[in-house]
This record gives sequence, C-alpha cells and structure tokens, in this order.
Amino acid sequence: MAETDADVPTLDVRGEICPYPMLRTNRELDEEQPDIPRLYVVTDHPPALSTIPPEAMKRGYGCEIEELTPGEWRIHIFKGD
Amino acid sequence: MAPRELDRQIVAGVGVVFAIGLVYLLALQGDRALPVFWVLGVAFGFVVQRSRFCFVAGFRDLFLLHQGRMMRGILAGLAVATVGFAMIMATVVPNPGTDVLPTDAHVLPLGVATIAGGLMFGVGMVLAGGCVSGTLYRMGEGYVGSWVALGGVMVGLYALNRTWNWWWEVSIAADPFIWLPTDLGYTGAIVLTLGLLGLALLAVGWWEKRSPYAGFTIPITQRSAAAEPEQQPNDLVKLYRAVVQTEWSPITGGVLLALVNVLLFIRYRPLGVVGEISRWSSDIADSAGAGVGTLKGIDGLAGCVARVTEGTWFTDAFMLNAGIIVGALAAALLSREFKLRVPRQPRRYAQSLGGGVVMGYGAGLGLGCTIGAFFSAIPSLALNGWIYAASLAAGAYLGVVLIRRIQ
Repeated sequence: MAETDADVPTLDVRGEICPYPMLRTNRELDEEQPDIPRLYVVTDHPPALSTIPPEAMKRGYGCEIEELTPGEWRIHIFKGD
Repeated sequence: MAPRELDRQIVAGVGVVFAIGLVYLLALQGDRALPVFWVLGVAFGFVVQRSRFCFVAGFRDLFLLHQGRMMRGILAGLAVATVGFAMIMATVVPNPGTDVLPTDAHVLPLGVATIAGGLMFGVGMVLAGGCVSGTLYRMGEGYVGSWVALGGVMVGLYALNRTWNWWWEVSIAADPFIWLPTDLGYTGAIVLTLGLLGLALLAVGWWEKRSPYAGFTIPITQRSAAAEPEQQPNDLVKLYRAVVQTEWSPITGGVLLALVNVLLFIRYRPLGVVGEISRWSSDIADSAGAGVGTLKGIDGLAGCVARVTEGTWFTDAFMLNAGIIVGALAAALLSREFKLRVPRQPRRYAQSLGGGVVMGYGAGLGLGCTIGAFFSAIPSLALNGWIYAASLAAGAYLGVVLIRRIQ
C-alpha cells in the first residue's frame, strides 16, 4: 500500500458512476471545502480517472492517480508543486 | 499490495479469452453467421472497454462541462463508417434515385416516432449513466447498476411493444424513408454527410471555447501503478502494457468501432443491439403468458426490430450482445480493472431502473439506440440518423438538467 497522509481528507465515491464522481469532487472543491490544499478521492469507476483530473486542474490543482487495488484508484489532488 | 492479487485478474482474463475461443469453435458448428457475430461482438466489447467509449459522455459532457473529447471520437467513427457503408451500399444499389433502398442499411421511417424516441432515449441514458450498448459492456465490467438498467430497458421495450400498433397506426405506417442518395447520388450524399460531420466538429470546438475554462488544455495525468516488486520489464511486458493496459483515446475507440460496424455490414447488416433485447423481453413475457402479440409492419423494417426466431435462443444477434458483455469482461480483467461495483445509495438503483425504462421505450420507438438509430444510421446516409441525433442531444440536455437535481 502506498503511503497515506492521515491529515488529508478523503472523498469516497466508490460505487458511483458518471457523472457523479466528478460532480461530487467539483462540489467538494467549489463549495464544501474551497481552497483545500489537498484532497484524496477514492473511486472504482475508471472513466472518472479521465474526468476528475482535468476538472481539478482547471481549478488550479495538480493531480496524481494511484492504484489501490485492481479496479480501485485514489486520485491525489493538491495545490502547488 | 500482494502481487498475487494483481495477477489473478490477468489469469482470469486469459481464461476468458480461452472461453471466447471455445465458444467460437462451438459456434462454427451452427449457422454460418454465429461465429462472425460472436467475434465482432467480442471486438466491440473489448474496444469500448479499453477506450472507455461512451455515447452518453459524448452528449452529456457537452452540456455538463462544455467538453467535447468523447464527441470527437464519435464523429471520427461516424466519418469512417460513412465511407465504408457507402462502398457497401454502392455494390447493393449501384443506381440510387430509383426509390430502391439498400436492404439492411438503417434507413428507417422518419417522423414523430424518431423525434420522440430520440428524446426519451437521450433523457433515459443520462439518468441511467449509460446507453444500451454502454449498459451491456458495463455489465461485463462488473457494474451491478447496469444489470438493473438492462432490466429497465427490457421493461421499457415491453411497454413499447404493447403500444407499438398504436404508434404504427398514428404515425409510423405513413412516415417516409428518406435516403440521401435517392436525390443527391452517392457523391452528393457522402459530401453532405462528411460536411455535416465537419460542421459538427467545428461546433464542438466553438462550444468548448465558450467554457469558463476556455484555453485550458487537458494535460496527461501522472499515474503511478500500484506498488509491486518491479524488475526490469521485458519487451513483451512493455508491449502488453502499452496495448492492453493503457487507456485508448476516444478517437481510436470510435475508428475501431466503425471498422467493426463496416465488417459486420459487409457480410450481414450494420450493428444494432436493441432488436435482440426486445426479443428477450417479448420471449420472457410470452412464457409468462403476457405476450405482445403481432406487431404491425415490423417485417418491412430494417434496423433494430425484434427478429422472429425459429425456436432457438442462440441467434446471431444474441451472439453479438453476449460477445459485447464477454469482450468487455476480458478487457477489464486483462487491464486489471474488473470489480464488482455496487451502488451505495438506494436511489441509484431507482435511477438505473427508471432511466432504463425510459431509454428502452425510446429505443423501441426510435427503432434503435445510440448504435442502431445513430451510429449505424448516419453512415447509412439516412436522414433519420441526423434527426435522431438532434433528438438525442435535446434529450441529453434535459437529462443533464434532471441529473443536476438528483445528487
């Protein structure tokens, strides 16, 4: 298991399909926790890997995708770098 | 991360590939069409899974995100299929303009049913999170919600079949078949179709520029694989990763799907998945003693109508649909993306079921889904494909308005 930073809040959207993983991430970044420095999004919906990062990057974040188990990923969204 | 767990999916994937080969050998014993439909169905499922090709995303993301990435893939596929279909149709009907229509091409009655069907399909597919072919391949990827959506589609098709004769009397019987080469010849029809596709491409670009984030180009995201003991991979492993485990672009997906479509049409007929699902629903209803009876005018129509079967469940269309599910299963396993995905919110089941019912009714009414009435109809140089596409877009817009309210 890759290292996990316990201080980083995690949005768990497993079980959700398009467009909800992306919409819920956007809502987190825009409304629930604006200007949050880092956020983990856990998803099991492969298309979300191509929809969430561009949306986060539009908002000035960087992104990294990490595979947790087969069919499950964690997207690391972060400010700066 | 246990490497064994990682390998298990690939081993299972290889097993599925062997099973696909076995079914192919068995299919060779039956009707000639069976192995062809099986192989092309599997190819379809494999391509859409690897490219995450999604007709819903194509329409929905235009409205939701001002983003046309998937729509570009769809347009590319339509352009390729248009050229291929035209060559096939030109051998069947060398002299258009004599009111002769190419058999099996998806030239369908154009009328209120086309528009109503497209609208319903557009709304339903956005609500259900997948069109009919999308639902089939997601079933293979392990999405439980997609199995529910397929149930909804079957209910919707049953409802349509029960009301089909009314639609037939009111409108469809008198609706015209408008095949562009009749008036324009092949050259004119091809130029017009490719020109409209080009215009659509320009419109997508213009629409993207109106996004609040215009000028933003989508960068490639860094992706770190799960930590595993990494030796230097050999060339074969590298090739496998590049071809099977990397996501294919929507344009690659669209073009490959178009080739599958052309190959199927060369020997038999264009791709379509709804007619067969309609047959499943009617057959099941029949055995429950609630059959749909005789549907008027169905025999004279091409496209996605339920085909009468001679006492067997294993028709060519069955092989195609089953192939899509199994091909997607193989692709998901080989790329280690398979997972049983269970919706956590109960309302998602209602959404899949309800979206499926609306989509099923629309697909029956419009004589096809995003495949049969759109992806196979525009390349058939048929006007109904364009009207259905516009109705799909309008329906998808309504679906986006609805989905924004259902969190």
